[in-house]
Amino acid sequence: MAIRPIIASLSRHRIAALLIVFEIALAFAIVSNAVFLIRERLQRMDIVSGVADHQLVQVQMAYIGNEPDAEARAQVDIAALRQIPGVRDVALINQLPFADRSSNGGIKLGPRQRWNTVHVAEYFGQNIISTLGLRLIAGRKFSPGEYLGFGAVVRALHSDNQKELPHIVIVTEALAERLWPGQPALGKTFYMGNGIQFRVIGVITNLLRPEVPSIGADYSILLPIRISLQQAAGYIIRCAPQDRERVLKAAVATLKRIDPNRVLLKHRTFEQIRHAYFQNDRAMAGILVGVIAALLLTTAFGIAGLASFWVQQRTRQIGVRRALGARRVDILRYFQTENFLLATAGIALGCAAAIGINVWLMAHYAVPRLPIIYLPIGAVTLWLLGQLAVLGPALRAARVAPTTAMRAA
Amino acid sequence: MLEMREVSKVYRTETVETHALRGFSLKVDEGEFVAVTGPSGSGKTTFLTIAGLLEDFTRGEYLLDHVNVHGMNDNQRSRLRNEKIGFVFQAFNLIPDLNVLDNVEVPLHYRHMSGGERRKRALAALERVGLSARLKHYPAELSGGQQQRVAIARALAGGPRLLLADEPTGNLDTAMARGVMELIEEIHREGATIIMVTHDPELAARAQRNVHIVDGMATGVSEEPRFHPGLRERTAGDVSLPRS
Repeated sequence: MAIRPIIASLSRHRIAALLIVFEIALAFAIVSNAVFLIRERLQRMDIVSGVADHQLVQVQMAYIGNEPDAEARAQVDIAALRQIPGVRDVALINQLPFADRSSNGGIKLGPRQRWNTVHVAEYFGQNIISTLGLRLIAGRKFSPGEYLGFGAVVRALHSDNQKELPHIVIVTEALAERLWPGQPALGKTFYMGNGIQFRVIGVITNLLRPEVPSIGADYSILLPIRISLQQAAGYIIRCAPQDRERVLKAAVATLKRIDPNRVLLKHRTFEQIRHAYFQNDRAMAGILVGVIAALLLTTAFGIAGLASFWVQQRTRQIGVRRALGARRVDILRYFQTENFLLATAGIALGCAAAIGINVWLMAHYAVPRLPIIYLPIGAVTLWLLGQLAVLGPALRAARVAPTTAMRAA
Repeated sequence: MLEMREVSKVYRTETVETHALRGFSLKVDEGEFVAVTGPSGSGKTTFLTIAGLLEDFTRGEYLLDHVNVHGMNDNQRSRLRNEKIGFVFQAFNLIPDLNVLDNVEVPLHYRHMSGGERRKRALAALERVGLSARLKHYPAELSGGQQQRVAIARALAGGPRLLLADEPTGNLDTAMARGVMELIEEIHREGATIIMVTHDPELAARAQRNVHIVDGMATGVSEEPRFHPGLRERTAGDVSLPRS
């Protein structure tokens, strides 16, 4: 199929041709960026939390006013919860990945370092590793005697009494690699707060920070601090996946029975916590899918509309071509080639626009760089869409009888 | 060159059956110039569309250049049409978006010919009709007579065995019509086989032979050569334009 006469013909209908080219370019630029953003969101939703996602439930309760002996009462609660059939472990933990509270701190590698090297999530509470299902890959867990009470730690901090503060820590693998790349982390030290020194005694694989930042989402530490219900994100209970609903109900009933005056704030599975956390991402992905569908549909209708108009306008011309020897397939190819050329021009323009939009998004919304692979994928999509959209009108054109050429003008 | 035997064409709708051609027979020899005349609705155009392989016929037999065309599929007919027939239409039927040179090249595109060969043939055909100076002009920039000359060049570019002209001067004023007619006669003198459909007796009189159609049947055939009597001894190979 000779391209030059098609280009010559298109150049005689510049405005209509340019409108389609711009429509394709716009669709290409927006669709490639939108698909990339959707993929980013979906990848984010698939992030590994480090905890046993399908085995955890949370029951969060609160006292009305201050409760004396909170730590002792917590031990009573935990002992009762452990009696529920199917419960494997129970812990009071200050925060959870994806949950709505977070405790963070800055780490310095030297005592006189001015700025923090990195920010981390601080997890505390007893029995965290076994309850959350974390995987210890080096060192050891905290021994029961190494835990300090939350109240005592707060008092020590206020009085700057370093002796009453914890000095050992368990870190995630990602954090260890960030602080001491390529080196074993066990025995290494860092500083937090007002120069409090910590020594690494264990390394776990993963544990996400509650707010899941785009960089350093896995920078977390465990501290040997005992907490009560007031400082906790609730009782975290581990059980078999199929037992979660039953255990949750039983746990609420048990805690209410022990102290009916407590207020039940939340009771949910960890999967529900995770699901709720990514609600906005899902909504955004849904909106973007809608935008993509609308754009592609509009573009397809635009192409089909213009092609239909051109077929109608050129019916006689098509008849003449047929009379001069064009086969049906030649007519079909003519319109397909014409569409391919328009789509190619649109894609070329759209590539520049897609990169431009991505650069703008990178500057204003901290979106990562658009991987180059999205451009050929987008191009193929738009080419196929164009060919599909033009197929109906092109087939109609191919059916024009050669006798049309004989009709009076 | 062309032989139709008892060719009939019936158009059928749910309620009506129209006999456009009834047992029509005609033999046109190589190098002949035949005018087909008849009143409106007599079947002239139907004859031309069948002769030009633009549509099939209902009954009968049609041999084009010794090839029986009955039962050919659309692709075979398209190919034969492209290689053996040149069309000259009353309304010129040039493609308005293409310039003169591109218009003449149109039928050559369907022969899988190289660009250079297409260009050579188109330029020769335009030279032949005296429009070499108008290659880059668009149809709208030409007079009616010039447009019909471009259409003739387009018909000649493929080196056809048969030239079919449908009222070639019907849309032209007298002076332009004379020029176009002289060109057709000149092409005939060079050896082309031409069948011209016309309702104009004066134009028909310039052909070697007239076939008159009424109600789809050939009613009168004048066999008397009126023009260029020595032509029958020549062959179509004498046409000076290149052949594929």
